[in-house]
Amino acid sequence: MILYDYALSPDCYKIRLLAALTGAKLTLRAVDFHPGGEHRSPAFLAINPGGTIPVMQDGTLTLTDSAAILTFVAAKSGPAWLGDDSPEMRARVAQWLAFAQRLSASIGKARTHDMLQKPADIVACRKAGVQCLREIEAALVERHLTGDAFLAGNRPTLADIACFPHSMLAPDGGISVDPYPAIRLWTRSVRALPGFIEMPGIHRLHDLKPEPVGVPE
Amino acid sequence: MPDWTPVALLRDLPPLVVMPVTVDGVDLALWRSASGRIAAWADRCPHRGMRLSHGFVRGEALSCIYHGWSYAQSGQCQRIPAHPDLEPPEAIRVPVHHATEAGGVIWVALDTVTTAPPALAGVQPLRSVTLDARFDPASAGLTESGGAWRGTLGGVAVAVLVQPLPDNRCALHVLAESKASPTDLVAASRGIETLRRQAEGVSA
Ligand SMILES: N[C@@H](CCC(=O)N[C@@H](CS)C(=O)NCC(=O)O)C(=O)O
Ligand code: FES
Repeated sequence: MILYDYALSPDCYKIRLLAALTGAKLTLRAVDFHPGGEHRSPAFLAINPGGTIPVMQDGTLTLTDSAAILTFVAAKSGPAWLGDDSPEMRARVAQWLAFAQRLSASIGKARTHDMLQKPADIVACRKAGVQCLREIEAALVERHLTGDAFLAGNRPTLADIACFPHSMLAPDGGISVDPYPAIRLWTRSVRALPGFIEMPGIHRLHDLKPEPVGVPE
Repeated sequence: MPDWTPVALLRDLPPLVVMPVTVDGVDLALWRSASGRIAAWADRCPHRGMRLSHGFVRGEALSCIYHGWSYAQSGQCQRIPAHPDLEPPEAIRVPVHHATEAGGVIWVALDTVTTAPPALAGVQPLRSVTLDARFDPASAGLTESGGAWRGTLGGVAVAVLVQPLPDNRCALHVLAESKASPTDLVAASRGIETLRRQAEGVSA
C-alpha cells in the first residue's frame, strides 16, 4: 500500500495512525505540499485529478479520499476498526466518516490559512469549525450517557480515527478547544491507544512517558 | 461577588487531567492528582510563562509541557529536569487558589472564603457548555432557588450554575434530577443545545 503523504496534513496522519494501530505496512511517498505545491503538479494530477492528499495506490487500485483509504486499510489489516458490531455502530461509523469532510473544509482550511497563508474565508471557516466541535462534543456526551466511551460505540473505530486529528489541531487554525470537556477526555483515550503514533501538534499522553532527564532549556 | 465560582463538573476532571478555566477574568490551570486532589493554580509557569494547563500530571505533581519543571501540591517547584541535582529555590512557586468539590461540581475561589459552596441535593451532573453570549436565566424560563437556576430542559428538571467568562461569554454547568434515566438525560442535553442557540440568537 503506497500512501502519498505530507507530514503536517491531518488527513494523511489519520491514515498513518490507523496503519500503526493495525500493524499495516505503508510505503510513504512524501508530497511537497508546501512550499512546493507538488499536489498541483502534472505528475500528481495524473494520479489524483482532484489535487488533494492523501492518495493511496495498491496494485491497480487508486483511492483519493481519506474515508475510502481508512476503510481499505481497516478491511485489509484491522476489520474490527470498521465497527461492524451492530447496524447502529456501522451506520455511526459511516456518518462520522462523512462528517470528517466537514472538519477538513472548516478546521483544515482555517489551519492551512493560518499556518501556510492559503486563501480562505477565515471567519466562516472558524465558525463552521466551532459548530463541528460542538456536534462532536454533544455526540460524545450522548454516547457517555448511554455507556459508551467512543464516537460509534464502546470501542474505538474508524469514526474516532477520522475525527480525532482535526479535533486536536483546531488551535492551529485559531479555534479554541478549551470549551469541550468530553472532547478533552476522548482525545486522551485515543492518545493512550496501544501503538498510537504522533504528528507535529499531536502527542501521546505525557503522563505515560518516562520522567524526562537533562532536558536542555 | 460570591466567594465561589463553579468551573467544571467533577466527572469532567478525572485524576491525571489538567484543564484551563477562567474565574473573574483570571486564567487558571485546574488539575487533579493521581490520588484525586483538586487544585486551581495561576495558568502561568514561573519559568518562561507557558500555560500550565498545557502541562501534564504525574502522581501528585503538575509538570510544565515546555521544559518539564514540576510543581508540588503547594505550588512549590520540586524538580528542574535540566538540573536534576538542584533543589529548586523556594521563590519558584505557582500562585495557588482555593478549589473544592461539592455535589459533583468543582468550585474555585481566588481569595479568602467565608462560606461553603452550595450543596445541591437531588441532582446528578449532566454536562458543561460554553455560550458565546451572555445568559439571561429568567428569559430561559429559569428561577433561582437554593444557589442554582431551576427549570426544565427537554422535559427534565434541571439545576443550572452560571460561570461568567470574559468577552460576554459564559459557561453553564447543568445538573439534572436524580431520577432522570439515560434517555431523559439525552433529551436534557439536547435541550441545552436549544437553549444555547436561543441565547446566541441563532435562528432554528
Ligand atoms: N476529501 C479529502 C480532503 C483532504 C484534504 O482536504 N486535504 C488537504 C490537505 S490536508 C488538501 O489536499 N488540500 C488541497 C489544497 O489545499 O490545495 C480527503 O478526505 O481525503
Ligand atoms: S516554561 Fe515552564 S518549564 Fe519552562
